[in-house]
Amino acid sequence: MKTKMITLCVNGRDHRFEAPVNRTLLQALRDDLRLTETKYGCGTGECGGCTVLMDGKDSICSCLTLAVEAEGRHITTVGGMTRDGELHPIQIAFIEEGAIQCGYCTPGMIMKTASILANNPNPSEEEIRKGLDGNVCRCTGYEKIVQAVQRASRMLDTSQIQKSGGMGQ
Amino acid sequence: MSSRVLPQFDLLTPQSISEAVAMLAQYQGQVAVLAGGTDLLVWNYIRKLKPDYVLRLSNLDGLDYLNYVPGEGLRIGARAKVAQLLEHPDVAEKFPALHQAASTFATPQIRNMATIVGNVLRASPAGDCSCAILALGGQVLLQGPGGQRLVDIDDFWVAYGVTKRKYDELAVELRIPEPTSATRSAFIRMTRVHEDLAKLNVAVRLEMSQDTCSQARISMGCVGPTLVRLKQTEKLLNGKKITDELLQQLAASAQDEITPIDDQRSTADYRRQVAGVILRRVIEQAIETH
Repeated sequence: MKTKMITLCVNGRDHRFEAPVNRTLLQALRDDLRLTETKYGCGTGECGGCTVLMDGKDSICSCLTLAVEAEGRHITTVGGMTRDGELHPIQIAFIEEGAIQCGYCTPGMIMKTASILANNPNPSEEEIRKGLDGNVCRCTGYEKIVQAVQRASRMLDTSQIQKSGGMGQ
Repeated sequence: MSSRVLPQFDLLTPQSISEAVAMLAQYQGQVAVLAGGTDLLVWNYIRKLKPDYVLRLSNLDGLDYLNYVPGEGLRIGARAKVAQLLEHPDVAEKFPALHQAASTFATPQIRNMATIVGNVLRASPAGDCSCAILALGGQVLLQGPGGQRLVDIDDFWVAYGVTKRKYDELAVELRIPEPTSATRSAFIRMTRVHEDLAKLNVAVRLEMSQDTCSQARISMGCVGPTLVRLKQTEKLLNGKKITDELLQQLAASAQDEITPIDDQRSTADYRRQVAGVILRRVIEQAIETH
């Protein structure tokens, strides 16, 4: 098996580990780094369960990204949204709106929300729905998720997002 | 392991285009080129392909451009993402078919990853950007050991999943010609839910003089092994004033010209039925949106 030393910067911390070259970013996060908050859903880029942020702004599917392709980039998972034990306003908004049922899609939804708001701090409902196109909630709790994104948008100090150049940086 | 493991392969990471081409020549067809990864790294796809080597374009700097060059048109580098089409103001204004294809293309995550050139190289009959590009016209710039060549998009797809690219060539750029002030274009796709691959997609580029179309290019997807130009239907349209009656004739002609099949996304009968309807709509959209 071909392996390689890989250095990944996840949630502001560098991790160095040896892994097969065919390791996806999702597998590296879950199995090498034991950061299991990011979920495997479909493995084909359709459900959004594995969504993480690249360089604070761009949402990507970690299941369709090789771990080596993420070297030199800043990866943010939902675990990186919390600061010093304090929940991020997006997380609080999801809780307050009851936008969580089984919870499996939530890490991807939160990261997608972070991406939507990093690119557009005051999205319309239509922009939110279009932004969430790539994230499936099998409990179908979409209404509350959309409301949570709206609440997060109101809660967030948008100047903070812009100053830091993205979410979770 | 928490998810499906990809088949084993060795990684090639060239530092220049010439090194990439030399590697493609050296490993003779055993190489899959990785740009966005949204096709290649889907487990079912790479398992069938089983490449010995995966060649990454990640270290080839300067291939991620998407430039509009006045008087020439769009220049799209091999690493430019679909999302870049939505960020470039000239794309929406001058190439509406391509902008509309990009805005309905898969999901935001996939648009941040997938490359435009990769969509063309995948040679799928359902490719959305590819459908718009076939209508707009264009050329693929291939670089091989002996130099560069341009292949017209009309000749580029030879069969399902097969292009004119030789194993030792790297597709480095896609060129889409400058529209004139009389050019109108549009794209429509049909799907069950948004992130699905198209059941049917269609794009047109029309050269209009008031109500009359002097020259048309019509491309349709999911109705044959590759994306196709509807050349008989184009002939019916060329030089004609666009009327309700003509649109009905065009719809009937499109239905005759395509060879759809039954598959998991739709049936041949349904595709034939809607082909005429969405052709009509896309022509109306092209004319109206200006």
